[in-house]
Amino acid sequence: MFSNYLKNHRFWLLSLACIAMLVAFIRPTQNQPRPIYNVTFIIDITRSMNAADYQLDGQTVSRLEYVKHSLRGLLAKLPCQSKVGLGLFTERRSTLLFEPIEVCQGFNEIDTALAQVDWRMAWAADSRIAIGLLNTLQMLEKLDTHVIFITDGQEAPPVNPRYRSDFAAVKGKAKGMIIGAGGLQAVSIPKFNNKGEPDGFYRPDDVPHRSTFGESDLNPEKIQGYNARNAPFGNDSSLGSEHLTALQESYLQALSAEAGLRYQRLTDAEALAMALQIPEFAGQKLAAVDVRWQMALAALGLVVLVYMRITRKETNN
Amino acid sequence: MERWQLCANCARRVWCWNGADVNLAVDTPWWLAGLLLTVLPLFNSGIQPSTYPWLQILPIDPLSQTISVVLRVCAMATMAALVLGLAGLHQTEQTRERIAYGANIVLLLDRSNSMDNTFAGKTPDGANESKATAARRLLSDFVEQRPHDLLGIAEYSTAPLFVLPLTDNKAAIHAAINATATPALAYTHVSKGLSMALDLFKDQPLSGSRIVLLVSDGAAAIDPDSELQLRLAFKRQNIRLYWLFLRTANSPGIFDKPQDPRDDNAGAMPERYLHLFFSSLNIPYQAYQAESPDAMQQAIADINRLERAPLHYRERIPKRDLSGDCYLWATGLLAMLLAVKFFEVKR
Repeated sequence: MFSNYLKNHRFWLLSLACIAMLVAFIRPTQNQPRPIYNVTFIIDITRSMNAADYQLDGQTVSRLEYVKHSLRGLLAKLPCQSKVGLGLFTERRSTLLFEPIEVCQGFNEIDTALAQVDWRMAWAADSRIAIGLLNTLQMLEKLDTHVIFITDGQEAPPVNPRYRSDFAAVKGKAKGMIIGAGGLQAVSIPKFNNKGEPDGFYRPDDVPHRSTFGESDLNPEKIQGYNARNAPFGNDSSLGSEHLTALQESYLQALSAEAGLRYQRLTDAEALAMALQIPEFAGQKLAAVDVRWQMALAALGLVVLVYMRITRKETNN
Repeated sequence: MERWQLCANCARRVWCWNGADVNLAVDTPWWLAGLLLTVLPLFNSGIQPSTYPWLQILPIDPLSQTISVVLRVCAMATMAALVLGLAGLHQTEQTRERIAYGANIVLLLDRSNSMDNTFAGKTPDGANESKATAARRLLSDFVEQRPHDLLGIAEYSTAPLFVLPLTDNKAAIHAAINATATPALAYTHVSKGLSMALDLFKDQPLSGSRIVLLVSDGAAAIDPDSELQLRLAFKRQNIRLYWLFLRTANSPGIFDKPQDPRDDNAGAMPERYLHLFFSSLNIPYQAYQAESPDAMQQAIADINRLERAPLHYRERIPKRDLSGDCYLWATGLLAMLLAVKFFEVKR
């Protein structure tokens, strides 16, 4: 009598489906490695970041606007349990607004904070990228987070090559990436009056075009009007193109090599998300992953087979 | 209006069903295509057919027909439950209105250089903590004691810094308070900081008291332009202001009168003049002058006690996963279909 059931394929299929579902309840999760990120965005908010050389929805937008837009896009792509912190860079150092916050719980908070980032938050002028980067890496060393330093690489005023920042102390310890923002074509930098209203652009005589700090690196005989004490850089009032700004890609690549960081040019949120997907950044954490779907899918397949028209069987009977 | 739509309020894009009470959504909508499979039992009873020489001989049996329909419906429900479970059916995050004791508080923190010194105006050593450290420790405790508050954070030195909007995410608030452990910035430009703190209330519904808690160790003269704007904003936003002034030893206090009347101006005595300005705003205002971490703790405890007005707030009910229920239903139905198989008679 029982052999009847054994010959019935539907009986077998339904039994298997039942067993599959029981397995799903017995072992609902499985520990699987999943990529989890812990990054801190440090955004350059110096004046050159106001230069408008990005396109967004057919509109020309400033580098800072575009950086904010891309980071907000990236934020929505990060897997839950990842953490994001935010800081600002200006002058020669950074400030941290908040330590990394979990992205799914704190999505609104991080998103709003990113949207509110403004060049007016800069507490001082100047833009010493190398010094700022070194300072940032040292400041965040204890935090165990990947620093994503976003800048256009425009040092203002220009750096004296004699006094370069020494990254030896952080090289190898610091983990992170420099993101170069801006176009390769030099564009002018918008100027604002003391009420924060647009006031034209910087002109050549608004900015210093060479470093006058410390001693010159050049052969004194070659410097016009050289005087060791009063004019170590000569008396030539040279004009350069420091009132214009372009992404200093080779400089940033050199800096990232010195500091042991990666470099990536900012194109869009998609590319940024791709750039983060390297083993160095994506910490593989064992997370309990819901695997009930595997058993449920098997059960569904089995049930579907029960109700499929299997003509051969039916004509035989 | 009941329809499937892209959730506007969800951080991540999911499709949801906005019903009257429940908002259902699925994680991976394309799984729902599997619902098409549920038509299969309409064409196939799932029962082993038995051969009869002449079908006409069998009378029409309403009971058999009912059982057949019930079995097909059960099979359809099984498949539907499995598909919905696979698609990750869940109830979306909801809010419900609650009344509790709490407030909307914006912490306005001074990030000027001097905050990194002790109350004695010295570099912190092992025995004495800096004003910033003390502030960080006490504010963290304060946040912990107030579970129902919405808190926002703004900071200022030479320029104002927007840190966090008003939120009930305590982990985020702690992350922002901890971040003030990084070295302080430049000078003290309090009027810009105040404007930013008031801005945080801009899009907030008027419910519960609105508090600005200014924690600073110095002050600066407020220029006439911002003075007028601040007066209007404080009045319009219905703000209650607390100023926790961390007084460094031998520096002028906020209640001191200068001995020389020539010094009685905002440039020489910015703390006293800021206090006079706040007092003249005609808003609920309380100043605390703390000269040690203990006095500061006292002041914070005082604010904690004072600000216990009932507050309407919306409590978040987190998203509830329903796929487990779907699987449970599917298993039950499967067990039933299997049981029915035992009643099948084969000749």
